[in-house]
Amino acid sequence: MLSLKHISKWITLGGKPNFLLKDVNLTINQGEFVSIMGPSGSGKSTLLHIIGMLDDFNEGEYLFMDQPVHTLKEKQRSALYKQHIGFVFQAYHLIDELTVYENIETPLIYQNVKSSERKAIVADMLDRFQIVGKKDLFPTQLSGGQQQLVGIARALIAKPQLLLADEPTGNLNSKQGEEIMDLFKQLNNEGVTIIQVTHSEKNAGYGSRIIHLLDGRIEQEQQP
Amino acid sequence: MLRNYFLVAYRNLTRNKFFSSINIIGLALGLTCSLLIMLWVLDEKSINQFHSNGNRLYTVYEKQYFDNQISGQRNVPGLLARELKKNYPDIEYSTAMTWNEQNTFRYGDKILQMPGTYADSDFFKMFSYPLLHGSAGTALSSPVSVAVSRKMAVALFGTPDAAMGKVLRVDDRKDFTVTAVFEDMPRNSSWQYDYILNWNDKLESSPWVRDWDNHGPAAHVMLRAGADPEHTEKEIRNIITSFTGEQAGFKAEVYLQKFSDQYLYSNFKNGVISGGKIEYVRLFSIVAAFILLIACINFMNLTTARSVKRAREIGIRKVVGAMRYSLIKQFLGEAILVTTIAMIVSILLLSLLLPVFNLLTEKQLLFPWQNLKFWTAIAVFTFCTGLLAGSYPALFLSSFKPILVLKGVLKIKGSANWFRKGLVVFQFALSSLLIIGTVVVSQQVDYIREKNLGYNRNNLVKIEITGELAQKTQLFREQALQIPGVSGITIAENDPLDLGNTTASISWEGKDPNTKPEFTHIGIGYDFVETMQLKMIAGRDFSPLFGTDSASFILNESAVNKIGYTNPVGRPFTYQGRPGKIIGVISDYHFRSMHIPIGPMVLHLKRNPAWGIAVARIEAGKTQAALHQLESLVRRLNPAFTFNYQFADAGFEQSYRTETLMQRLSGAFALLAVVISCLGLLGLAMFAAEQRVREIGIRKILGASLQSLFVILSREFLLLVFIAFVIACPIAWWAMNNWLQDFEYRVQMNAWPFALAGTAAIAIALVTISFQTLRAALANPVKSLKSE
Repeated sequence: MLSLKHISKWITLGGKPNFLLKDVNLTINQGEFVSIMGPSGSGKSTLLHIIGMLDDFNEGEYLFMDQPVHTLKEKQRSALYKQHIGFVFQAYHLIDELTVYENIETPLIYQNVKSSERKAIVADMLDRFQIVGKKDLFPTQLSGGQQQLVGIARALIAKPQLLLADEPTGNLNSKQGEEIMDLFKQLNNEGVTIIQVTHSEKNAGYGSRIIHLLDGRIEQEQQP
Repeated sequence: MLRNYFLVAYRNLTRNKFFSSINIIGLALGLTCSLLIMLWVLDEKSINQFHSNGNRLYTVYEKQYFDNQISGQRNVPGLLARELKKNYPDIEYSTAMTWNEQNTFRYGDKILQMPGTYADSDFFKMFSYPLLHGSAGTALSSPVSVAVSRKMAVALFGTPDAAMGKVLRVDDRKDFTVTAVFEDMPRNSSWQYDYILNWNDKLESSPWVRDWDNHGPAAHVMLRAGADPEHTEKEIRNIITSFTGEQAGFKAEVYLQKFSDQYLYSNFKNGVISGGKIEYVRLFSIVAAFILLIACINFMNLTTARSVKRAREIGIRKVVGAMRYSLIKQFLGEAILVTTIAMIVSILLLSLLLPVFNLLTEKQLLFPWQNLKFWTAIAVFTFCTGLLAGSYPALFLSSFKPILVLKGVLKIKGSANWFRKGLVVFQFALSSLLIIGTVVVSQQVDYIREKNLGYNRNNLVKIEITGELAQKTQLFREQALQIPGVSGITIAENDPLDLGNTTASISWEGKDPNTKPEFTHIGIGYDFVETMQLKMIAGRDFSPLFGTDSASFILNESAVNKIGYTNPVGRPFTYQGRPGKIIGVISDYHFRSMHIPIGPMVLHLKRNPAWGIAVARIEAGKTQAALHQLESLVRRLNPAFTFNYQFADAGFEQSYRTETLMQRLSGAFALLAVVISCLGLLGLAMFAAEQRVREIGIRKILGASLQSLFVILSREFLLLVFIAFVIACPIAWWAMNNWLQDFEYRVQMNAWPFALAGTAAIAIALVTISFQTLRAALANPVKSLKSE
């Protein structure tokens, strides 16, 4: 599905390059559930953002579904990711001024889906996540677990092939976290490729492959 | 998508009521001010634009060359209009006209004085004043015909229908027959006449009008359709010389000005038309644009100030697939929504303020509820203001990098900060400019009010001498002096406080024969100096004790300086071919407005003028009673006319109307600009407090005192305001100095307005930001640092 070749990213501090990622090579296939682990500052989030095309890199090549991302223009790049990638964040990042329903609906709006179709798709999603009763509430009226559920529903609404999650359970208690991970497992079984960044060994265990980062390099890969 | 944007915009507005209201109020104030000025400007521009032949109507003006000067005027010889029509086929119609007349009309026992004029028979064919009765061809066809307005017809005859064919006695001198009734002249006509008398009567009754050497009446022409005005203008240029012959040291050329331009472009400079009311129209338009700009800047500032709060939303929207352009659309849409709300508020404000504004500007502006064009303009205006106000926030906010925003490491770039600071500097510079302007205008107006005019304008009343009163001036004076409260009375040929008449027919010992200086001249009766309370520098006033006074003259100081006599009293002086001697010198007094320098002036004795003005000095506190008795005296002596009077100080106020208007409006504008700028500064202070919350928290934990935090937070803003003030100073100095040049007598530019504006700007800024600053400084540091 995607492959990174010799990806490096650095920022220059005091005249010297400071590597965030150094010569990262990684291939991820359709249907995988990958967990990225590593200590703070090891470059986990940066790698995830590069994969999600939210951040750029200084060196290397990135092929996403056979398209060379590093040569694409900004517009083509966003068109590509808005079609194929969904994002889930540790801090949920819902829009406070929109209701649950409207939050979930937003990606469809940006993909110019017709209003009647949107209604049907969002209704299905609400149904599936069993949050129909909450659809008119605002994010601040929900618990953390519920908010993350909405976040995931929003990430999935446009039927992306790839779901990127940046510590999706980081702000949740263990029971809520477990529910979210179960959901991820289930989604993966349905064919969605998932890449998650996590600190927790337990959560990493849900995936099919664990990548350990240290100081911007892939230190080790393991199967759980 | 629109619905989604609208919802977010709406919820954002309602969730931040304080923020939203200052934003909307600021914008609404700016819009209201612009709308008011727009209505005023449109009204000024609509004056005289309603004539259906407007593009063929021209006013004749003269370029006069004499005394090494070129001057322009719209006063031409009385026969010019007719000769133009007779001799030039391109001129289809023409009319001479006099200035505003105040003739007195009698019908039965009704006596009435109304404003009107004389015009030739083409008048109604040229100008579009609809006739209720009569026809344009016959309205003014005979020397005894008069056309009256609906208002005058109703006042004299009850209805317009009853007026036709009725005979009116005019000035108790001659009978006229009503041959037409015209609809009251519309508000946007610069003429507001209630009657038009036939021009032939003027020619008959005032022989001087027929003299080609006298330049008094106006002349208007209507060109044939398709005629080239420039060509006509060339042809007619020397028509006056063709009648008078070449004259030594004097030449008058004739030019054409579009009639519709005349109202706004009324002034001359060196014989060329140069500005007039258009300058105020332009000035106010610029001020309106600036105030709207300040309001828009304010909006930008407040909106970007909230960017930290909105940044997360933007980041999320980008992550879930929003393109930059859709975000730009969203924020522009929000801006337009806010502008629309502000526009609704400002339309309400406008309808409330319009009566006050009318009072201020002496206009009768109406809110054009039914004018579709107006509403279209409002819609376009709202849209454009929204775009302008929303442009920067939209571009700025949509440029955020989503990852940085969502990670919470958003640092507003230095350039964005500079831009916003620049906006505040700009706002405050404009505010300071307006404050300084207001103070200088006030100083000048006060200066005019308090300047020693050379006469005492308090308790001085001018009474018009008309009809039989002119033959009874002696009796009138004697009887008026019997009235308790009347301490002095004198008669003058013309209004001694608004003298325009000059003569070059003067000479004295040692006069250079090659110069033709013009002296202002006036014929006066006895007791002039005493009644006016003028200062006699040398010699004496005219007196009945001296039989020789008909060959005596009084000069003012300027005249003595011009002549160069060292001991003028008793020296020879010739006035209009009458040799005599100087018997007295008065110190200069302002016989015209302060825009014009006091020139040389000669006063001669006129015992029984056929017309004129009586000037009476009334003791303070007895005004009403004395005036009442004067009225009954005049009515008794002159029953065919109404009693017309004016207080000298009221007339004085009248002649500085424009300046007073300037003072009031610039004051209002300055206040508005300051209020709006403060809202902007408040926004910036909020923003800064938000941005520096962490810094403040750390400083507090390290032990910073409240005072030191206050200084840290305020310092920057005060610096901005100070920079703004420094920028405003030279511009204000230049602009106001320029404005003052229009006055021959003016205040010196001094440091006061600047000191005042500087102090005010800084004090106002300090008060504005202190609320935000204190709140930030008092906040609990634990709370602000927890979010990190």
